[in-house]
Amino acid sequence: MSQSGYQPAVGQRFQPRDRETFFDAQRRNRHATWRMSALCVLAAIAMGIPLALIVTPLLYGGGLIAADIVNLFWPIPPFFWQQANEVARFGLVALNWLLQHTAADPQALAFGAIVMLLPGTLLSIFLWMGISTMFRHGGVGGALLALKAREPNQAELRELQLADVVQEMAIAAGLPAPRVMLVDAPGANAAAIGTSPADARVVVSRRLLDELNREELEAVLAHLIGSIGNGDLHIAFRVIAIFESCGLLVALVNAPFGSQSRRALWHIFRYGIRGPGKDGGTAEAAAVADLLTRNVGLDTDDIDRFFDATKRSALRSIRNFLFFPIFFTNAAIKLWLWFFSLTVLGPSMALLWRTRRYLADASAVQLTRDPDSLAAALKKLKDDGGAISGGGWASHLFIVSPGRGGHTAADAPSRQQMQALAQAWVATGQPGAGPVSAVDPANFPALTGEFTGTVRAAFAGDAHAMARIREFREAMAGADPALAAHIPDIADLAAARRGDRTAIARLRAFREHAVSGTENRKAEADDGAQSSDPSSVSFLGFHPSVDRRLKRLARMGAHLDLPAGDHKQWIVAFVLSVIFAPFLVLLIALFLLLIAIMTMASLTFLVVWLAVIHKVFMLVAHQ
Amino acid sequence: MLPESIGIALTVAILVWMIAAYNGLVALRTRVRTAWAEIDVQLTRRHDLIPNLVETVRGYAQHERSTLEDVARARAQAMAAGDNVQQRSMAESALTASLGNLMAIAENYPQLKAVENFQILQEQLTSTENRIAFARQFYNDEVRKYNTAQFTFPRDLFAGLLGFSPAAMFAGEESGEVRVKI
Repeated sequence: MSQSGYQPAVGQRFQPRDRETFFDAQRRNRHATWRMSALCVLAAIAMGIPLALIVTPLLYGGGLIAADIVNLFWPIPPFFWQQANEVARFGLVALNWLLQHTAADPQALAFGAIVMLLPGTLLSIFLWMGISTMFRHGGVGGALLALKAREPNQAELRELQLADVVQEMAIAAGLPAPRVMLVDAPGANAAAIGTSPADARVVVSRRLLDELNREELEAVLAHLIGSIGNGDLHIAFRVIAIFESCGLLVALVNAPFGSQSRRALWHIFRYGIRGPGKDGGTAEAAAVADLLTRNVGLDTDDIDRFFDATKRSALRSIRNFLFFPIFFTNAAIKLWLWFFSLTVLGPSMALLWRTRRYLADASAVQLTRDPDSLAAALKKLKDDGGAISGGGWASHLFIVSPGRGGHTAADAPSRQQMQALAQAWVATGQPGAGPVSAVDPANFPALTGEFTGTVRAAFAGDAHAMARIREFREAMAGADPALAAHIPDIADLAAARRGDRTAIARLRAFREHAVSGTENRKAEADDGAQSSDPSSVSFLGFHPSVDRRLKRLARMGAHLDLPAGDHKQWIVAFVLSVIFAPFLVLLIALFLLLIAIMTMASLTFLVVWLAVIHKVFMLVAHQ
Repeated sequence: MLPESIGIALTVAILVWMIAAYNGLVALRTRVRTAWAEIDVQLTRRHDLIPNLVETVRGYAQHERSTLEDVARARAQAMAAGDNVQQRSMAESALTASLGNLMAIAENYPQLKAVENFQILQEQLTSTENRIAFARQFYNDEVRKYNTAQFTFPRDLFAGLLGFSPAAMFAGEESGEVRVKI
């Protein structure tokens, strides 16, 4: 390799033949998008067919009861009942063929299939189109608009740079410049939200401005604006619309049981009638969308409360009897939706979204002509990329996956602060050497270890260690008093060794704070994940891993030291999957069996139940 | 009977395709023209920012009169160059060079660099140069797409007939590094 004298010390080397231009990368990703979209469509159809099978009998039942009620007041001609019988007959033929493999003539079978599938399919499509139309104005990411966001302050240098960078990237992409919203969130991240390039917005957290320099900021904005130009907002909207339609269906079948679902339906209805409000209704849309997407889980609170056996009364018993078959259908639908979206539909959407992320990375390189800055930005965000709270279902719009572990805590020191601490620490280690130049972030863990060791030695009584800590604290107190609070006071240490009680108390409090601080951060991270979140509907994450993105950037020309491929990891994963595959298959088969049983049970109950009610109505009608 | 209907269907199909291809080429040509106009917009923006910059520097660096005058002169020439592409691009390059001199000299005046107003002006100027560069980059990308569309088969057969001609790329400090860092 003889390109420009650059040689990676270890790890992968990209030969000239491994390189690809960003144009080729874009083309490759666009083709991949078509394949992934086809996969998603297939997944949606595969989900829809059993769903239609489950929902259709319910619709017929509803229609029958409605006809019976109407019949009480205005007698319906027998022609209608004859047709209803015909339809039922075709349905039975199809069912028999499915269950008992009784031979049937193809035409009758075709009719039967239509009878069994059509109403459910029509309902699903109707719901999906309704959702798409209703939320079209709100676009995606509306949840982020509810945050306290502000315009960049053009009198402040960093924020002026942000505004300028957005304009520059918009010019490079030939798009109208999106509006910029600055959020004072603890995590460093940025997202593109909106409906289309014309009214898109870019949400940036203030912490991102602090962490990245101008070139890296440009690369991040290039990624976001490139993704807007590629039409990712439309795609994101369609992805969310599918999950929202599922949520709406679940809300509909939950409605007889739960007040929460009824309230959600009422909100949706009101939003649908009133239409988008003054500001384009994005906040309202976001609230309603959140209600819907929350439903795509296995929430059974409503049902438990409904069938609460402790509250007995005659009225309740009648009500329970009336709603019993719907309960089975409800359970079957929810189980099927949850299972299928987790294992098939969700991952398909995730794969599609990942392809778009890669495409946006290639577009970023096209706009800036500089893969290095994007690579540097991604590396920084990999460690520090945090959540912009309230993200939830907008999190897949961020440039990197939000928060992992304790990094999202508000009191974790930022990169600048870490740099200041490290420089001061190194300075104390070399007395009289003058000011220290910037410390390589890779050395931070080593320095932290050194610091912890010195603190322990100081606690134990080492005079040298105590002197160093005192110097460190004084240096930091002069530079940044807030940070100095993290460093123990040596005067306290000396006093504690003499037996001074208040000093001992202060030191104990300090140690508890230091220890519990870490624990608090862990606890926060554990239950910080939002209940409604794209990752809850798919076992594959929506964001590609930063390492994979860096590898692709290296192929486009970024100068990176990539770690050598971890082959051992792949072998272990392969062996584990071979061992667990049969169990997984068994588990999946059991699930499917459970859903089939519930469907059959629901069908049986429904038929019996309908027959009884129909007879009651007939008797009443003939009085 | 059959060959006739096939012939008609084929002719209709070809006509439809030609209409679509024509519209596509028109759309690309419009984008090229818009991109060219965008470069113009950014160049004008630079003209508007310069007086403020010159005044700020003059306040702190009175001895650099010659450089400041250079900048003012180059700006006047650029604004007077009008629509002649040759003259215009030469004048704008001269302006870029003189601005570069000015900013290099400003490095020698620490109290000027500390002035917040100057930092903001410097950022605005950097951003303007970037915007010009990116507008040129976008223009070149669009020209590339437009020319490729004209030269690929089968459109190249009749693109010339319909009045499309290849556009010229903005040659300059091309081939990779399009950014002028000040």
